[in-house]
Amino acid sequence: MATRTLLRAPAHAARTHARLNRRKITNRTLLYLGVAVYIIIAVFPIYWMVLTAFKSNADLYNPRNFRLWFNLAPTFTHVAYLFQKTNFATWLVNTYIISFFTVIVTLLAAVPAGYALGRMRLPGGDTLAIAIFLTYLVPSSLLFIPLSRIVTSLHLQNSIWALVLVYPTITIPFCTWLMMGFFKTVPLELEEAAEIDGCTRFQAVRHVVLPLSRAGILSVMMFAFTLAMQDFIYALTFVTSSKAKPVTLGVVTDLIRGDIFYWGELMAGALIVGLPVAILYNLFLDDFISGITSGAFK
Amino acid sequence: MAVATASRRSVSLAQARTRRTRFVGYLLLAPALLYILALVAIPFFLALSYSVRDVSVTNLSGGFVGLKNFSALFSDPTFRESLRNTVIYTIVSIVINAVLGTLLAFILLENFRGRRVVRFLILLPWTIPIALTILSWKWMFDSQYSVLNWLGLKLHLYALLDVIGPHLSHSYILLNTPQGVQWLGRGAIAMGGVIAVNVWRNFPFSAIILLAGLTSVPPEIIDAARIDGASPWTRYTKIIVPMIAPILVIGLLFSIIFTVTDLTIVYLLTQGGPANATNVLSVYAFQVGINSGNLSQGAATTLFLTPVLLLLALFFLRQLRHREV
Repeated sequence: MATRTLLRAPAHAARTHARLNRRKITNRTLLYLGVAVYIIIAVFPIYWMVLTAFKSNADLYNPRNFRLWFNLAPTFTHVAYLFQKTNFATWLVNTYIISFFTVIVTLLAAVPAGYALGRMRLPGGDTLAIAIFLTYLVPSSLLFIPLSRIVTSLHLQNSIWALVLVYPTITIPFCTWLMMGFFKTVPLELEEAAEIDGCTRFQAVRHVVLPLSRAGILSVMMFAFTLAMQDFIYALTFVTSSKAKPVTLGVVTDLIRGDIFYWGELMAGALIVGLPVAILYNLFLDDFISGITSGAFK
Repeated sequence: MAVATASRRSVSLAQARTRRTRFVGYLLLAPALLYILALVAIPFFLALSYSVRDVSVTNLSGGFVGLKNFSALFSDPTFRESLRNTVIYTIVSIVINAVLGTLLAFILLENFRGRRVVRFLILLPWTIPIALTILSWKWMFDSQYSVLNWLGLKLHLYALLDVIGPHLSHSYILLNTPQGVQWLGRGAIAMGGVIAVNVWRNFPFSAIILLAGLTSVPPEIIDAARIDGASPWTRYTKIIVPMIAPILVIGLLFSIIFTVTDLTIVYLLTQGGPANATNVLSVYAFQVGINSGNLSQGAATTLFLTPVLLLLALFFLRQLRHREV
């Protein structure tokens, strides 16, 4: 009896092992299947965009063609059309100018504010920090009507400077919050040591704290850029003349003439602008997540 | 005596130093606070003031009219439809978004090869500006060249629909026009399209926020519960959810805000059509306040978005109090 049990034990173990293994394989298969489904959902519209951007019109509008791949050779005509026959280059330049100044203004406001809130233990500092974070949640669709009046009374309508003025309202709150988090991670002792060594507080900040927060500052710059790129409503409200449009607005308004959609050009334009933003965003994603979730923890 | 004076002097010196530090601190805060005050707070109160006056682009000095703008809105059928659509759009989107996002978060929690690439690809809907990707959707929903219709035909989904459709509902006929489904031409289907785009855009965000929460739960706790015989569902609802509740709430509130206040998707996909079937508050406010120049009605419309904001403010204030305790 005892020997029989002993003899059976390894067989039993092996069977359990095989069952576990089979279950593991099933789980893995399900996992990859799930990942595949999600990738298809997420990527298909982008794939469709890439395909359309480089397909010739003869290929695009022939209903008998296989639509999910090229039937005729890929072409750059849509991209060329954008740069030669539309204001696309101007819109790109506008976007870069707007972004550049938005980043500068954001840095000038958010870095000092983040420092004050993150390191100086001011009375009421926590409340102010929360208040600043809350303004990040005040949506542009609540403010665009009064802001349109403010922009008009400053004579900034139809000018890229209207957007330079307004975009920091989107970027400053979030970036201040981010900088606050970064500054908190630099040990106070380092700054104090520098002061003991004869630095003024300003020098200590400049030579010790700021270099250590370089990653944070870089991340803030990226977010000022990408958050401003996500806007559509302000550009739509403040700018109607083609020459002053940022690229996200120009593509959707000027490449659609009445009922005629230049799909190839539209997709090419969207792709040229969208992919770099996606790549940048992705590089700094972890900072973005910690910025949002640090509202919950601590 | 001398010692006392010295110590008193050093106390007052320290006090002076603190006072100076505070002054510098508030000085550093000033640019950010002033910016927000000037271009967030003041416009907000301007919107409030517009909503109780009779102001338009041509008549900026209109007088106080009380709640007339609001009562006018409620007798406006387009406004009522927009309000209803906003509620439906938000609730349906958020529910689907939460389910898809939660599933994805658990998938991304697993260790598998190529996770970073997968993350990059799955986040594309979130990272590319929606004003651009919406164009691809509009093209996919095209009345003549819709690739979705092409796929439906190729995969024989429409043949299948012809078989089972009559058993489901008589309105299935609406789907099967000779060119395939008119995605943006019929009210209910267009609303479905708008919701689909919203979910597509926002589920990656829900997933990464939830993922951040999940990775903060110590695995030992989960293992202990597993050893004690807790099923995956119990582990999720009884242990994980309570532990990451703050993050869940933040993610949820962000998603609600993004959806309730979103203008881009509806504006670029349907313009609120067909016949206002997909019109939402933000788009309607744009049509009234900017296109027609009726600032008061437009501002009053946007103010219907504030209850959601209020909810958020309350939540954060509660968080703050918890932190102080």
